[in-house]
Amino acid sequence: MSAEPYKVADIHLADFGRKEIQLAEHEMPGLMATRAEYAGSQPLRGARITGSLHMTIQTAVLIETLVALGAQVRWASCNIFSTQDHAAAAIAVGPDGTPDDPKGIPVFAWKGETLDEYWWCTVQALTWPNGESPNMILDDGGDATLFVHKGAEYEAAGAVPSPSEDDSEEWVVILDKLRDSLADHPGKWSKAVETIKGVTEETTTGVHRLYEMAKAGTLKFPAINVNDSVTKSKFDNKYGCRHSLIDGINRGTDVLIGGKVALVLGYGDVGKGCAESLRGQGARVIVTEIDPICALQAAMDGYQVTTLDDIVGQVDIFVTTTGNKDIIKASDMEKMKHQAIVGNIGHFDNEIDMAGLAAIPGIKRINVKPQVDEWVFPDGHTIIVLSEGRLLNLGNATGHPSFVMSNSFTNQVMAQIEIFTKPEEYPIGVYTLPKHLDEKVARLHLDALGVKLTVLSKEQADYIGVPVEGPYKSDHYRY
Amino acid sequence: MSAEASRRYRPVPGLAELGDGRISYSQRSMPLLSALAARFSAERPFDGMTIAACLHVTAETAVLVRALQSGGAYVRLAASNPLSTQDDIAAALTARDGVEVFARAGVDRDAYYEHIALALGGDGAAGPDLVIDDGGDLVSTLHTRALPATLSRVRGGCEGTTTGVLRLRRMAAEGTLAFPVIAASDTPVTRIVDNRHGTAQSVIDGLLRASGALLAGKTMVVAGFGACGAGIAEYARAFGARVVITEVDPVRALDAVLRGFLVLPLADAAPLGEVFITATGSADVITGEHLAVMRDGAILANAGHFDVEIDVRALAALAVRTHPDVRPHADAYELADGRRLLLLAEGRVVNVVAADGHPPEVMDLAFGIEALTLAWLAGQAERLPVAVHPVPPDIDAEAARMVLAALGTRTDSLTPAQRAYLASWRLGS
Repeated sequence: MSAEPYKVADIHLADFGRKEIQLAEHEMPGLMATRAEYAGSQPLRGARITGSLHMTIQTAVLIETLVALGAQVRWASCNIFSTQDHAAAAIAVGPDGTPDDPKGIPVFAWKGETLDEYWWCTVQALTWPNGESPNMILDDGGDATLFVHKGAEYEAAGAVPSPSEDDSEEWVVILDKLRDSLADHPGKWSKAVETIKGVTEETTTGVHRLYEMAKAGTLKFPAINVNDSVTKSKFDNKYGCRHSLIDGINRGTDVLIGGKVALVLGYGDVGKGCAESLRGQGARVIVTEIDPICALQAAMDGYQVTTLDDIVGQVDIFVTTTGNKDIIKASDMEKMKHQAIVGNIGHFDNEIDMAGLAAIPGIKRINVKPQVDEWVFPDGHTIIVLSEGRLLNLGNATGHPSFVMSNSFTNQVMAQIEIFTKPEEYPIGVYTLPKHLDEKVARLHLDALGVKLTVLSKEQADYIGVPVEGPYKSDHYRY
Repeated sequence: MSAEASRRYRPVPGLAELGDGRISYSQRSMPLLSALAARFSAERPFDGMTIAACLHVTAETAVLVRALQSGGAYVRLAASNPLSTQDDIAAALTARDGVEVFARAGVDRDAYYEHIALALGGDGAAGPDLVIDDGGDLVSTLHTRALPATLSRVRGGCEGTTTGVLRLRRMAAEGTLAFPVIAASDTPVTRIVDNRHGTAQSVIDGLLRASGALLAGKTMVVAGFGACGAGIAEYARAFGARVVITEVDPVRALDAVLRGFLVLPLADAAPLGEVFITATGSADVITGEHLAVMRDGAILANAGHFDVEIDVRALAALAVRTHPDVRPHADAYELADGRRLLLLAEGRVVNVVAADGHPPEVMDLAFGIEALTLAWLAGQAERLPVAVHPVPPDIDAEAARMVLAALGTRTDSLTPAQRAYLASWRLGS
């Protein structure tokens, strides 16, 4: 099997990428401390990790951390727009290579892939030299996990089903790719699911898929839910989005946010961060929710909570944060104000019905600049859609800042080490990282911020019934 | 009730001791006045002068009065609101400091104005050399009831509220004003500290004490987005309230919108609000037509100086029944259809009536500026022209400097090169 060495937009962007990686390393103290701690023991020696995660500068620091711990790595992005081409180039070239003599890791990612290219990249990252399979997956959104599971399922069934009319464009592409694979390399994915020791999943959406598969009994290897580490979901989702949402809207549109009416659809961790930063910019923020607890939280935080139907004609900026589908429908977009801005920060592009929008008779799409489209309705009013409904913080800006990602990715590295080195402790199922590792991730980030931690006395620790060195909270504590 | 009979505090045993303790406690939070008391003791700027003061009789006011006395002043004090007098403070100032205090909590309107007249020397004493007013009632009483000789004796005055300054400007425009007055409510420093922060914190305090309501999740309508209204709106938002602003001034309305507030006409906001705070300095803000469409349980409070912002008469007329004092400083008005509206502090300034007014730190600055201004007026060789004057910027800066020093805050100073740069038009990019 010929595995291509790499495929990126422009390998000559590597120098720029390397400079940004070096800046990011300083902002990612958790990953750098992990490198230092495990430089000698090399716990990931022998690991063949396939990563499917936004190929950004921060991810580059993650990848080089995995390599520093002994792993071999192949990588694809988990979104067609989220790759930073200079980061991909720098990873392909590696710290010791040059664009003419790349010595980095095989990466298959560029900004602006087609769906067909995207799944080709995913297949490349899953395809190891000499017919070997990956033995670990590091996933974000669950695409790599989905692909190997579906591949194994169809190999067992003997054929890939034909798409039905209701299937999305993307599902048709996946089926095509698997059909090619079954023809050319029968048994490839069955072998992969046997070989893979486990997956560590980054995000809510992917975690949701994993629990569904575990419940249905179709999960083929153990999974660690990194998303629900406190130092991931409460930090990445909230503080990361609080930062990068505004960045994306600003870079995409340059509108003054102060004074605008912003609708945040969903008030989970992501929605909370988005609402806070929009309010901080002076927007009047309104929230929609289906969950009475989150709705009450929003109301107590001083936000108006109402339905999309109720408010759609009064909103200047829409942000979907739900992780669910069909949140903003084409019929909603028809009712929006002239030049309303519509964006999604949820993982997938199914929160905003882009296909439905494109199917409106007489509608026109005017590309303003990359990842910014103005859609002109037949009556002349327009809306501005960011990143084609894909997550705008990565599409229009550069995603979460390094410091936040250092928290998330240090969890990823801990999770990779856990499953790879202690497979016997993780039978097939979905797990969260033990609390002491979650606390460790936080601890690794305190010094950089000048935080001074108070230490429990033995008497105090005994009084509340915890060890002096932690963990300090029960597993159900909500922070 | 005769004015004379009501002028003194009720001689309750221990009252003066209680008040003295509270004055000492407040003094610890009033570093500017403490520093000024020391400075005035040495410089005696008010030697031989009488100062007539019309101020809320609170512990913070007492600290100001003591500072003025340290400078040699003889102080005659009346209340600037019939409900705001703290009797223990009046008792302490009378018994311990020898101040002539004409104030008692809960007096009626006639007694209130009699008290002001007495502070001005209505009982035969010479008129004041300097006046310090809070809302303009003392200055207007002086102009309507005093002899021309008394008026011409006044070297100048100081007004501490926006409302009072508005009245003074109207008097000046009419040509009625007879002595120079300094508008102490209007300095850049007081706008920040007193109006924006002091009013906001204490209005919320009064609202909480009188209503006991949870603000998080409530829709709160703030009428007026001046320095006070803006502060109240920001503080209420920090409590989790959803704040709606009403304004007449397009500049302030735009500011409110850009800070993320919903701005609506009051007619539109009236059926939405669960809490209403007026902070306009104007009259007839919440009228019968607004009251008629309010939600059951709506809470009404006024943060403006006078009780004219909420039309309490219209509320009483709409009500088929009133339930006075459902809580201290809260009266429920029951409308014909069973809705109840809760009026706090009878529509009078809620932070002073239902809470302790501004925190001492805030009053320290406001009063410190007034004390510095009075000392400056006392030291002028010639009386200033008759007009409403701003506080000299040097006084404002000096007050801020003294407060910063007390807080232990250090600041940078411009270098000579920076001064030259800022003064020059020749240097560009």
